[in-house]
Amino acid sequence: MSSGLSRRSFLKLAASASAAAAVPGCEPAARKLIPYVVADPNVTPGIPSFFATICNECPAGCGLLATVREGRATHLDGNPEDPISQGSICARGQAGLQGLYNPDRLPHPMSRNAGGTLTRVSWDDAMKTVNSKLGAASKAGKDRVAFLGGAQGPSLRDVMSAWAAANNSSRVLYYSPFSNQGMREAAETLFGRRDLPVFRIDQAEVLISFGANFLETWISPVEFGRQYSEFRAPKERRGSTTIGRAFYVGPRLSTTAAKCDEWIAVAPGAETEIGFAILSVMLKQRWVSQNSGVDLDALAKLVASYDAAAVGKRTGVPVDTINRMAEAFGKANGALAISGSDDPASHLAAFVLNSATGNFGKTVMFLQDAPQGATNKAEVVKSFVDDLRAGKIDVLVVAGTNPVYSMPPEYRAAEALQKVPFVIWAGGVPDETAAMANLLLPMHHPLESWRDRNPRAGIWGLGQPVMQPVFESRDLGDIVLSTIQNPKWATSAEAVKATWQDLGTKAGGSFDDFWVKARREGGLFQDQHVADVKLNLASVQAPAPYTAPEISLYSYPHIFLYDGRGADKPWLQELPEPISQIVWDDWAEIHPDTARKLEVTDNAIVELKTEFGIIQVPALVRPTVMPDVIAVPFGLGHTAMGRYAANVGANPFAVLGAGRMSASVTVRPTGDSRKLVTPLGKSEQLGRSIVEAMTIEQLAAGEVPEGHEPEVKGPYEFYPAWDYPKHKWGMTIDVNACIGCSSCVAACYAENNVPFVGKEGVDNGHIMSWIRIERFYPEAHEENPPLMYLAPILCQQCDHAPCEPVCPVFASYHTEEGLNGQIYNRCVGTRYCENNCPYKVRRFNWFLPEWPSPLNLQLNPDVAVRGAGVMEKCTFCIQRIQYGELDALQEKRAVRDGEIVPACAQACPAHAITFGDIKDPASAMMRRRDQNKLRNYQILSELNTQPAVVYLRDLHSAKGKA
Amino acid sequence: MLYWAWILFCFTLVGVAAALWARQIYVGLGVSGLRQPVMWAIYITNFVFWVGIAHSGTLISAILFLFRTKWRTAVYRAAETMTIFAVMTAGLCPLFHLGRVWNAYWLLPYPNERSLQPDFRSPLVWDAFAVSTYLTVSLLFWSMGLIPDLANVRDHAQGIRKKIFAVLALGWQGTDRQWRHYSIIYLLMAGLATPLVLSVHSVVSWDFAMAQLPGWHSTIFAPYFVAGAIFSGVAMVITLLVPMRKLLHLEELLTPWHFDNLAKVVLLTSLIVSYSYLFETFMTWYSADPIEQMTFHMRYFGPWGYLFWIMVLCNCIIPLFLFFPSVRVNLLQIWIISIFVNIGMWLERFVIIAGSLRVNFEPAQWGPYHPSITEIMITVGTFAWFLGLFSLFAKHAPIISMTEMKEGIMWLRKALKKGDSTKAA
Repeated sequence: MSSGLSRRSFLKLAASASAAAAVPGCEPAARKLIPYVVADPNVTPGIPSFFATICNECPAGCGLLATVREGRATHLDGNPEDPISQGSICARGQAGLQGLYNPDRLPHPMSRNAGGTLTRVSWDDAMKTVNSKLGAASKAGKDRVAFLGGAQGPSLRDVMSAWAAANNSSRVLYYSPFSNQGMREAAETLFGRRDLPVFRIDQAEVLISFGANFLETWISPVEFGRQYSEFRAPKERRGSTTIGRAFYVGPRLSTTAAKCDEWIAVAPGAETEIGFAILSVMLKQRWVSQNSGVDLDALAKLVASYDAAAVGKRTGVPVDTINRMAEAFGKANGALAISGSDDPASHLAAFVLNSATGNFGKTVMFLQDAPQGATNKAEVVKSFVDDLRAGKIDVLVVAGTNPVYSMPPEYRAAEALQKVPFVIWAGGVPDETAAMANLLLPMHHPLESWRDRNPRAGIWGLGQPVMQPVFESRDLGDIVLSTIQNPKWATSAEAVKATWQDLGTKAGGSFDDFWVKARREGGLFQDQHVADVKLNLASVQAPAPYTAPEISLYSYPHIFLYDGRGADKPWLQELPEPISQIVWDDWAEIHPDTARKLEVTDNAIVELKTEFGIIQVPALVRPTVMPDVIAVPFGLGHTAMGRYAANVGANPFAVLGAGRMSASVTVRPTGDSRKLVTPLGKSEQLGRSIVEAMTIEQLAAGEVPEGHEPEVKGPYEFYPAWDYPKHKWGMTIDVNACIGCSSCVAACYAENNVPFVGKEGVDNGHIMSWIRIERFYPEAHEENPPLMYLAPILCQQCDHAPCEPVCPVFASYHTEEGLNGQIYNRCVGTRYCENNCPYKVRRFNWFLPEWPSPLNLQLNPDVAVRGAGVMEKCTFCIQRIQYGELDALQEKRAVRDGEIVPACAQACPAHAITFGDIKDPASAMMRRRDQNKLRNYQILSELNTQPAVVYLRDLHSAKGKA
Repeated sequence: MLYWAWILFCFTLVGVAAALWARQIYVGLGVSGLRQPVMWAIYITNFVFWVGIAHSGTLISAILFLFRTKWRTAVYRAAETMTIFAVMTAGLCPLFHLGRVWNAYWLLPYPNERSLQPDFRSPLVWDAFAVSTYLTVSLLFWSMGLIPDLANVRDHAQGIRKKIFAVLALGWQGTDRQWRHYSIIYLLMAGLATPLVLSVHSVVSWDFAMAQLPGWHSTIFAPYFVAGAIFSGVAMVITLLVPMRKLLHLEELLTPWHFDNLAKVVLLTSLIVSYSYLFETFMTWYSADPIEQMTFHMRYFGPWGYLFWIMVLCNCIIPLFLFFPSVRVNLLQIWIISIFVNIGMWLERFVIIAGSLRVNFEPAQWGPYHPSITEIMITVGTFAWFLGLFSLFAKHAPIISMTEMKEGIMWLRKALKKGDSTKAA
């Protein structure tokens, strides 16, 4: 054509021109697609990056490995290099992500005007105010400026001290409600040191816990979970198969107690008595070590009034039980006593027990150069708050702690804060303390900032930011450093680097290499020498004999909500507390006998009145607490802290004395009620095979528990067996190792975009968890049952899956690798599959799931978000399986055993879950089955569903033999 | 006037139900009371109930036709009409219950580019086939039977009505040739419809029997459900005919003798159903399966035990009054009994479906169920929809077969001559 424009080209142009004209019309919003013209060498779209950092959800200081997808942290796992977490973390650690993406986080600085309302201010204005207030206060006199923070790492402590000094002050206080003050005091009395010892449960044969919930919240639960599963694993000792024997002495059958052999129910405070009684029996029977260095005469004097019979009378514990514990403890080759009680004397008893049996240095040890605790002594905290109340401070900066919520009522923290003319609060979700502050500054989440941790001697955790800040927040160190002239470090990143420069110098070698290694491995981990300690009984006074109050209140940190910091995270609220199985609320556990006396039933709100105040909590009548004790968890009862935490439950901190977790209480039913919500149906198994247990005596004798003999597998198949050309995925779950911590559940929520549904949703039977911790009470007719049955239940990936043939549209189908696949797009929502599933592990989307922004940023891009009307389920993290298989394919090799790990297995601190290929008899998963043949069982195997999951029975000592 | 008020009332309720359904589709099934583990409840109960109702129509029109039962002629049109509307209602119920109803057609095999077909192992697919076949055959059979009557109406009508009925009558002239063809096809259709009476509800029962849930997984379900379906269906015929006879002044055509026969069917099927309950219990005891036994224990004495005992009262005890001939010819009394049977049979399905799901294999996953207002109003809507349609038809079309009544009149006269007062009264 002469014009040079062919017809075809013309049409093309015309079409694109009209398309271009149409586009702005239908897409007015700015949608930018920015191509990777210059690609970031560290980011491959679709491939996750991993950053080692540290957890901030409790003082244990676990190392984390954050999975970051295209700039968003989507999953947290334990850092395998870190000696504490060793690649696993707890549910609270997992939920750190929901702290990062919490929709109620303060998005920008806010200032409170005279009328009390908050208005948005710019960072510049906010910092101008801060500077002028600080300037005025520091000029007004010495110590007019103060900082109150939570447990902090060494670098930030340096920063805060420098900041205080620059403001003519030395008032820097670190406060945390649970800082093991009792144990520190006991250690000071006995050993003259205030650091916490290191515990090695795995080195013991017998364990006595005086109210220490070491599998839930006590000191370092992830580490103890791992040690405990090692301790409880069957081992050949002195010619017979045995497990570690564990006793729990305390008022409540906690998750920790449930995993022990025996629960010795005593009123709060009476643990000490039992400890001293055991000592007295051991002395009498000469079960104490003669060369332990303990002054036995002094000890005899100390325990004189703790004769087992007298203690038995005072506490109601049978003398026989005390004798049995003493014998077990004294004769064990390695024993450990620990205490989590609020009574310092109980810690004293535990230390003396360990010392007198020569276990110091073996199952428990102090380390050289131990950090002296990240928080201040109770007396220091009290005088600090007194000074606030006396008006001695003009400007107070509060960050990372919530004194108004968690300080004991006798400190009158709220009143004290009111007396401070200018309170600056820095943090994430505005809490009760923020409600009293004049200026609110959004602080970086730990996953957005540089920090470090020194949880124990030899372990230095390095926290690095894993992503760009979600909100307009700033790092606390950066904020305070910007207020001082010529600071030593310009930013907290520099401060951290400076600390690590010192560590690097000590370690030797080039700093650059050291720094790269530290960031890659998440810290510096060195072996530390055991400190030589000498127990000194000279200054020990025997505690006054215990008298039980008529009714006592016992509070304990909630396994998920801890000291209240977990309450703003929907995952943690929705996880059923393993023993009570209650979600989204708090509860007062009352023994049925006591409930009858008080005339209360489930859900009836009771008023609990101590000398400090009143709380109202709905009753939960359960035999999991001893009579005349009312157990209420810490963690709820917030008046602020965002939509998930505010106005749920009651706060026991408000009615307890300083450092106490128990009090004498008067109880009055109010006549009101509030429904406690649980996803659990019945608490008994009704003789069905769901969670099974056997005694160690049976295992040693090679017996299978009665009624659970392996069934004869006859040729009763109608259809030919499945053909699995490559793999057949399976799982082995060791119920004995499982500690009920629910970390697997939280990990599944994070990995598989499982939505949370809230209290009403759970009440309506809409809970979405693909894996759950099932909890059953033993039934009356059972011989030698465990204290409680606890096990994770997830899709069993049956070979003869009842869910598959009933689906009319093949949405539920059998994959070539033995999984019960579910095609979400194909599902029409008949729900027949769930009706036919005997394990009830399928979950239906009753509504369109919602993640209030920016919680949605956490969603895993590898897993589809399901819409309303679709059935969903566990597929052993099929996206991870795909990932592993594709990796192997690319590298032209077979999939290695252990290369693919589902989220639940990865999260499990106790390594209870092993995943692998059933076709590979050498896989760790199959070996675990083979090595524990006698303990193998499958849930409801009589239905011939042929699950791919094999459970290993729980083990415990027979009654009276523990 | 009263009639139109009634129609308006019915379709207002249908409108309310439709609005609630629309909301359910938009928001999600969470607006129903369905939950873990009771994934099926009122919607499926309604489905089985309405399919059951649909059974007696074909039974009366086809099976009794083959047996040349005389009393059939007066009631079969009404029963068959009831069948059509009941199947139409039943067909809606699974749609209410689907999570993603807009994809409901995936249950049917249809050609598509991805060669996706339904899973023929699933009883729900069998169900889709069974119910749609039943609707098709019933519809054909019913419209076949209507042709001579429609022609009759056409011949007597004026204006627009004449035109409408002329189309519907398909050019029926009443010639010998046409009558001959008609009789052959009618007989063939009756033969075709007969096995469906047994198969459809058997298939429906397999929705449950094929699952392994205790309380569902049982081999007696097919005969047990078919008997139950006929039981409830005939009872529904009585429930509809008694007021219809009064309102449309059909006393001459629908005599107590007809109701006496219907009542005998109700009594017989009631006894079969009672026997099934007993036998189910016996089998559960005899199986020695503790899980199955627990399910039945919970069915009788659990939180919904009262529903079971109301059901026993309605289905097993109250129908025993039909042993008295005087009750069988007392229309008010059998009408009341028939309503009890309807209630009882609805409860039976609910007790089996929701009650068994509630008490499943996994005690930790047992859970309660409370119907929501959406479910209740949709259920009410299905009744309104059914009654509204039936009323419309009864008012505007021949609800009693004129042709067959004419044939029957000869025989009736004979019977009267014999002085058989009970039959002819």
